[in-house]
Amino acid sequence: MNRVLLILAISVLSASLLAQESPTTPKAARVRIIQGPKIELARGQLTIIRWTTNNPGGSPVHYGIVHYGPDPRALSATANSPIRLNPDHSSTVFRVRIDDLQPRTTYYYTVDSMEANGKGDGARSAVKHFTTR
Amino acid sequence: MREERRWIGLLSLSAGIIVALLICTGLISVQAGAQKTDNDQHLRVYNPYPPSILPSDLSSEIARVLREVDVIESRALARWRALKPPILTGQPPTLQDTGTEATETLGELMLFDKNISPNRNQACASCHMPYAGFSGPIPSVNLTMVAFPGTVHFRAGKRTAQRHPYSPFFPVLQYNQVQGLFFGGNFFDSRATGYLLRIPDAEQAQGPPVDTQEMGFPDTACIAFRLSQAMYRPLFEEVWGKGSFDINFPHETARICATPGGAAVFGGSTRPIPLSPTDRTRANTVYDHWAQSIDSYEQSVQVSAFSSKFDAFLAGKYKLTADEMAGFQLFNGKGNCNSCHLDGRGTTLKPGQTDTSSAAMVNALFTCFGSANEGLPLNPRDAFYYQTKPDSYGFTPNPYGFGYRDLGLGTFLRSGFGSGSSPNVSWRQYAPTVDGQMQVVTARDVALTPPQCPTTEAPGPYFQKGFFHNGYIKSLKQLVHFYNTRDKYAYPVTSGHCPPGTTEKVDCWPMPEVRNNIDMTSGNLGLTDEEENQIVKFLETLSDGFTRPYLNSDTFTGACMKGGSAATQGNELLIPTPPLPPCASAICGVAPVPGPKPIP
Repeated sequence: MNRVLLILAISVLSASLLAQESPTTPKAARVRIIQGPKIELARGQLTIIRWTTNNPGGSPVHYGIVHYGPDPRALSATANSPIRLNPDHSSTVFRVRIDDLQPRTTYYYTVDSMEANGKGDGARSAVKHFTTR
Repeated sequence: MREERRWIGLLSLSAGIIVALLICTGLISVQAGAQKTDNDQHLRVYNPYPPSILPSDLSSEIARVLREVDVIESRALARWRALKPPILTGQPPTLQDTGTEATETLGELMLFDKNISPNRNQACASCHMPYAGFSGPIPSVNLTMVAFPGTVHFRAGKRTAQRHPYSPFFPVLQYNQVQGLFFGGNFFDSRATGYLLRIPDAEQAQGPPVDTQEMGFPDTACIAFRLSQAMYRPLFEEVWGKGSFDINFPHETARICATPGGAAVFGGSTRPIPLSPTDRTRANTVYDHWAQSIDSYEQSVQVSAFSSKFDAFLAGKYKLTADEMAGFQLFNGKGNCNSCHLDGRGTTLKPGQTDTSSAAMVNALFTCFGSANEGLPLNPRDAFYYQTKPDSYGFTPNPYGFGYRDLGLGTFLRSGFGSGSSPNVSWRQYAPTVDGQMQVVTARDVALTPPQCPTTEAPGPYFQKGFFHNGYIKSLKQLVHFYNTRDKYAYPVTSGHCPPGTTEKVDCWPMPEVRNNIDMTSGNLGLTDEEENQIVKFLETLSDGFTRPYLNSDTFTGACMKGGSAATQGNELLIPTPPLPPCASAICGVAPVPGPKPIP
C-alpha cells in the first residue's frame, strides 16, 4: 500500500514538475509528414509554407526549415521559423516565413525540421514548386 | 555703569534686529528657493513630442496616481505600526513569527514610496498599480505613448509597464544547451538575469530606480541615502540590521540625488557620490536589501495571490461557465496557447469532456519562462521614438529616433543600446537566434482591472490597458485576433498605412518590426470570432481577486472608458508610421549581427 502511495506521489510530482517547466515531449520513433507541404500564403513580400507532422517530440522549440531556389537541382537558399511543440497534441504544424521572393518566379522547395539544438527530425519532403505573382 | 547698560541694551536690540532680519531674509530666500524649484521644474519640462503623442490629461493623471500611491503607502504604514515586532532568535538567526510579514511590508512601503526618485515624484507603483494587475495605471498613457513618464517630465521609456505578479517565480536566466533555449530572467528582454542575487525579480527591482527614463537616480547609493531618511527606516533596520545605514554620505549627496541620471553634469559617471570603498560596499548592500524586500512583497499572497476563478476551479470550488470552459479547451487545443502559457494540466480536453486530471499542478504560472518574437508591428505612438533631442539636463534618451529597433533579448545578449550589460559573454553568440524575442509573460492577471471598470474590453465600462511589450494591442479581443490572424491578414505596410477597404487590427496586420525569429506556432489558427471571444472569457478567469479581495485594487479614482468595440479599440488614435530609416548601426550593426538576413 505504501509503495503504491509512493509511486502515485512520484507520478503526480513528476507530472507537476514537467508541467511547470516547459515539458519535453518524448521523441517520436519516426517523424513523418502527414499533410503538405503547401503554400499557406503568398502575398507581396511574404510567403508562408505549411506542413504537418506527427508530434516529433524533443526540445520544446522546433524549427521548420525550407530549402528553396529557382533551380530544382540547387536549393541553395534556406529559411527557418521556430514553433513550440505542445506535448499534448498528437500532431504538429510547421510554418515557415520566406521574405522578399522575386515576383513572377518559379521556386522549387523541400522542407524538413529540427530541434532547437540543430538535431534534425529526419522528415524531408519531396521537391515541390510554386510561382510567385 | 548706566552708560554701560545703555550700550548693552543698544547692542542687544541691534543683535535682535539683525537676527530678525537674517531669519526674515532666510525665510524669504527659502520661499524664493521653493518657488525657483517649482519654476525650474516647469521650465525643465521635456517635450520633444509632436502634437497628440502625449495625452492631454497626462499631468492630472500623474497627480491622480500619486494620490492613490500615497493612500496605499499610508495603509502600509498603518500595517507596519500594527505589526508585532519579530523576534530575532535561533541559529541561523531568524525573525521569528512576524519576519515574513515584516519583510513583505517593508517591500510594500518601498514600492509605494515616491521619495525614491530625484524629484520625489515617482514611486515604483507609479507605473505598476494593483488595480491594473500591477501594470500601467493611466488609461490614456496605455492608449497613446505606451511607456510611462519618469521623474523628469516627460522623459519616457520604450515599453509597457510589465506586470509584477508571479514574476518572482521566474528562474535565473540560463541557456539550456540540450534544448538550445534560454529560460528565465525578468524584464521583457530578460536583462534582470538573477546572476548575482539569484532572484531575477529582485534584480529587476534594481533597474527602474536608476533608469534615466524612470525613477532616474544618478547613483544606486541614492537609494540608500533616501531610505536612510524614510519614515520606515526602523523597519528596514529591524529586518536587515541596525548598522545598515552606517554610511558617511558626503554633504553634496542630497544635491546629487536630486539631479536626474544622465545629466551632463555627471560626465557619464554612474557613481557620482564620492564614497569610501567601505561605504560604497554598505550602500550596495542596502540596494541589494531594497531588491530582496521588494521581491518579498511581489512574491507575497498580496501580489502573487493565486486567488482567481481558475484557482477556485482547480480547487473544485467554481464551475467554469460554458464560454469559459470552451475558452479553456481552445486555449489548450486549437489555440495552442498552452504550448507556452503552461496551464499545468495533465490532459487535453475534447469538447464536452470534463477535466478530471489528477496530475495537474495547482499553482500553474501560465508561462514557460521562455521568450518569443510574436511579430508585433512597430508602434509609432511609442514615446521613445521622439526623444531625439537633449533635455535641459543635456540627456538624449534615444539619439536614433525611428532608427531604433527593439530586438529584445538579442540586444541584451550583445549588451546593446537600451538594454543592460550582459554578465555572460558566452551567451552573445546566440543573439541572432533570439533577436526580436520578448519574455513570455504569465497570462495571469492580464485582464485584471479596477472593480468599477470590470473589463479591458470595449464597450465597457472598461479600463484601457496596453498589451505586449510595445502596447500596440489595446484589447484582449485584439490580442487573440492577432495570434489567430497575424499571417492571414499580413500586409507589407507599417502601422497607419493599411490599404483602403481594410481595417487595421481587424483584417490588416502591418508587418512585424523584427522579421527574424518570428514564432510561427500562431499567426493562422483558424479560430472563429466566437472562439476568439471564448478565449478572452477564459483569460478573464485568470484575474486575481475572486476567492478573496485583491488587496489595494480598490484605489482607482480615475474614469472608466465607454463605447466602441473591442475589435477596433483605440483605432481612432492610430497615426501613420513615418518612413523608417534603416536600423541604426548601434543596434543592428553590433556583432554578432542579426541574421541570416539583416533587419531593415
